Amino acid sequence: MNDFIPYISTSINDTVRSLSFFYPEVILVIGFVIVILADLFFSKRSRQAPFLLAIVTLVITALLNYQMLGQLPVQLFGGMIVLDNLAVLFKLIFSFISILFVLFVRYHKPLQNSSKGTGDLFNILLAVQLGLNLMVMSQNLLMIYLSLEMVSVGSYLMVGYLSQSPKQSEAAMKYALFGAVCSAFMLYGMSLLYGFTGSLEIYSPQFVSFLSTTPFHSWGIGLIMLLIGIAFKLSLVPFHFWAPDVYEGAPTPVTAFLSTAPKIAGFGLFIRILAPFEPLSLSGMDNAVFSLTSIMAVMAIFSMVVGNFGAIGQNNVKRMLAYSSIGHTGFMLMALFIFSASGFKALIFYMVIYTIMNMAAFMIVDEIEEKTGKQNIDEYKGIGKDHKVLMIALVIVLVSLAGLPPTAGFTAKFLIFSSAIEAYNLTGSALLITMIITGAISTVVSLFYYFSIPLNAFLRSTESPAADFRNSPKTYISLFLVFLLLFFIIFPSAIQQYL
Amino acid sequence: MNNILSILIFLPLVAALLIIILPSGFRERFKYIALGTSIIQFFITLSIYLNFNSTSSFAGVNKESQFQLLEKVPWIRLDLGSIGKLEIDYLLGIDGMSLPFLVLSALVMFVATLASWEIKTNLKAFFALLLLLNTAIMGVFCSLDFFLFYIFYELMLLPLYFLIGMWGGVKREYAAIKFFLYTLFGSVFMLLVIIGLYFSVLNPATGNHTFNMILMMDPGNYLGSSLFSTVANQNVLGISARLLAFIVLFIAFAIKVPIVPFHTWLPDAHVEAPTPVSIILAGLLLKVGGYGILRVCYSIFPDAAIQSAWWLGLIGVISIIYGALNALAQTDLKRLIAYSSVSHMGFVTLGIASGTTEGVSGAILQMISHGGLSAMLFFLVGMLYNRVHDREIAHFRGLALVMPQFTAFIMIAFFASLGLPGFSAFMAEAFSLIGAFASQEVNGLLPRWMAIGGSVGILLSAAYFLWTLQRMFFGMTRLKGGDDWLSRLKDVSIREKFALVPLAVLALALGIFPSLIFNKMNASVLAFIEMISG
Repeated sequence: MNDFIPYISTSINDTVRSLSFFYPEVILVIGFVIVILADLFFSKRSRQAPFLLAIVTLVITALLNYQMLGQLPVQLFGGMIVLDNLAVLFKLIFSFISILFVLFVRYHKPLQNSSKGTGDLFNILLAVQLGLNLMVMSQNLLMIYLSLEMVSVGSYLMVGYLSQSPKQSEAAMKYALFGAVCSAFMLYGMSLLYGFTGSLEIYSPQFVSFLSTTPFHSWGIGLIMLLIGIAFKLSLVPFHFWAPDVYEGAPTPVTAFLSTAPKIAGFGLFIRILAPFEPLSLSGMDNAVFSLTSIMAVMAIFSMVVGNFGAIGQNNVKRMLAYSSIGHTGFMLMALFIFSASGFKALIFYMVIYTIMNMAAFMIVDEIEEKTGKQNIDEYKGIGKDHKVLMIALVIVLVSLAGLPPTAGFTAKFLIFSSAIEAYNLTGSALLITMIITGAISTVVSLFYYFSIPLNAFLRSTESPAADFRNSPKTYISLFLVFLLLFFIIFPSAIQQYL
Repeated sequence: MNNILSILIFLPLVAALLIIILPSGFRERFKYIALGTSIIQFFITLSIYLNFNSTSSFAGVNKESQFQLLEKVPWIRLDLGSIGKLEIDYLLGIDGMSLPFLVLSALVMFVATLASWEIKTNLKAFFALLLLLNTAIMGVFCSLDFFLFYIFYELMLLPLYFLIGMWGGVKREYAAIKFFLYTLFGSVFMLLVIIGLYFSVLNPATGNHTFNMILMMDPGNYLGSSLFSTVANQNVLGISARLLAFIVLFIAFAIKVPIVPFHTWLPDAHVEAPTPVSIILAGLLLKVGGYGILRVCYSIFPDAAIQSAWWLGLIGVISIIYGALNALAQTDLKRLIAYSSVSHMGFVTLGIASGTTEGVSGAILQMISHGGLSAMLFFLVGMLYNRVHDREIAHFRGLALVMPQFTAFIMIAFFASLGLPGFSAFMAEAFSLIGAFASQEVNGLLPRWMAIGGSVGILLSAAYFLWTLQRMFFGMTRLKGGDDWLSRLKDVSIREKFALVPLAVLALALGIFPSLIFNKMNASVLAFIEMISG
């Protein structure tokens, strides 16, 4: 015991120093507690107290994160987590998503009318947000697992929050089971890596040098298992089976959240895990037997193919968007082949735009569902006439999802292609050019299903009379998001100056 | 005024926004807003035309300082870390090769707007989309930055999809998506080439990676070891990277032109589209393809272009003959004209492939001439269809007795299209063929038989036009709809004359004074030939 006494003061100092970089997370924890209390004691008197408190918490977190932009890397809490500019950018995106999510929930009728209230949902959200923040900062295997589980458990709860119909319960169950198996795999993989290297810190020289000197056969399985956990979060093929069912079954705001935040955090984590091994060929990750680059490229190709071709046959809008998001993930993966600032810039830009597009798409789809009860594409016939503004907004979002000008989706797609082609320039690998061509073809394919919505809404007509409706604030939020999509193609520097 | 090109491009966009904002009570005024916009644009382009400096020190093509009405605003600057900075400019400018297209665009837009009087439903959306399309087309012809060019190029697709899909004929859904997918298929791969290009090209003034098309034309600006470097001879998938890039870009534009075998979207789209959209499709959209081949494919990859000239000439000839044979077999008047477009655009490919001054001048003249004539033809078909909702050739006979003025216009359009001396198409086709014929001696790119093959096309086009004329307009009046049709087949109205007369005048003027265009573009064409023959 006495042996540790000299270390106490340094570790206390380190913790105190670290705390000053940890304010956003501290605020989240405080907000979490306050929202619980508010929900317990004040929700009778003012129903929206948890909503307001959650928004305030998130806005403060966002502002604190914003101040940290340009942060030089610092090791925090004895090297458990690291804070750098990339992490700050990711955290800002999470704050953005969470704020939109909270607003979305506030104006989502089924959730507002449910007997459970929404207080708990905001609670879970703040906890998940904390997990997301930690996910992109962690550099220790334990921390990685903890933060990932924090996000996962929260997500399971969110998906099953209403569970009004068997379909929703099935979705929640499926998600939880699939997620549990994947995280078990991941944990096993981590324990193997720890066993081999004797270190939990993925940046420690011990960890890296072991992997570069030991033959692949011994540690490969551990690494692959670790990647399975991440691939599940990213819903990369072949770990995508949960996505369509969960997206369809979960309440729409939750779907919008799941299709963005955990996925983006998954990318953040992926970057963290890959970073110590870059360039892959030097660290032995790309060798004669095994090539991480090839595995990633194959996963990207299959995700784009399965996502985009799978989406063609879908009739439910949410399922269609689920498949399309699988395709988008595969597409985003292309940015990681050039493991440098330019690749990350492209990725972050794409994520911001992707968030805006997906949030807007789900909001509009939800709004239409609330107004007309329609959520199948073939029921959309002729609604472009009754819901002009909303449908035009949806068309712009879809155009952006397909990556066509004049929307920011094009700029984003362009940047990803750029980084992929740069990677090809450096390596000249045939697999990479196949991946790039797959990306191009999948754009054409994606147009086919995205445009089945305007096809029905504008090109066809229906006999049924228009329902009476009033625009909810969701309409205006989504219009604002659509405006952003048009704004960012003219002024991409509004985002790029922070990258 | 040195932002006159921006005004030209964005005026329709402003008009479109105005139409969107105005309440639907103004529904009947929308067409006048659109018409006014196109008239203003026409006068702007006319003044640009008159003030255009056609001396060789303003030839343009591959020298930025020689472009006229140049506008350059830095747009996107992105630091890419290790590989340097990316530079995208808002760069507009015109030279002798783009000038004729600007005038043509404004004229065809004017005619298309006049043809829009037949549209009765959802006017707000229709005119907003039409004006958006106008912006995109003007933008394509003015942009000199490849990124900007691509944005305008893609921007044309969306309004067209909805214009065909919402106001089109029976099979409109199929036609609209087919058109969209075909064009997009070409352009996504073009995007990949654009990205490869900017990695390869450095702006010597700033040291940044640039999208400036003019800088891409100078082999000296390419990084030595880069993908598209002229020295490094990189290979992609076993083919020389520059050749592959040329082929990809060529296919992208060939789909637009359209060149056989990428033409199958055209008959569907042209036939299903409402008249104003058919006019724009045939009059302008196809020209974007030809313009792109000149401005982009040939200018940036001249070596690969020369290398593949024989093949380009071959598909040009095939397009001419195949399109004409198809036109002969059609029973629907609009389909016939659609296929005649394929045939006539084949001369453009042939002329460009010849790589001679005559050939390239002829190709540009052919695009302008065909732009006017196809607009006129589709307008005339639209008039007929509007009156009786039928355009089967066999359902009409002896129309000359019922609609004498209409027949006169049809005869002008038909004779002009089939290449009767005195009309623009004759001059254009003659020059294209002369170029193709001379090519064997001048640069050895095309064999003589291709020129001969092209002339067979003229013969065939005379056959289908005259045969149609004889079947539909001559003889005793016999109509499928009987007296009902007879009462509905009114002759040309004042509004329709406003649209038809300028086009007829254009065809005649260019036929008699081709120098109206040749003089303006000669310096640029010479510079272009000098550049590609290196």
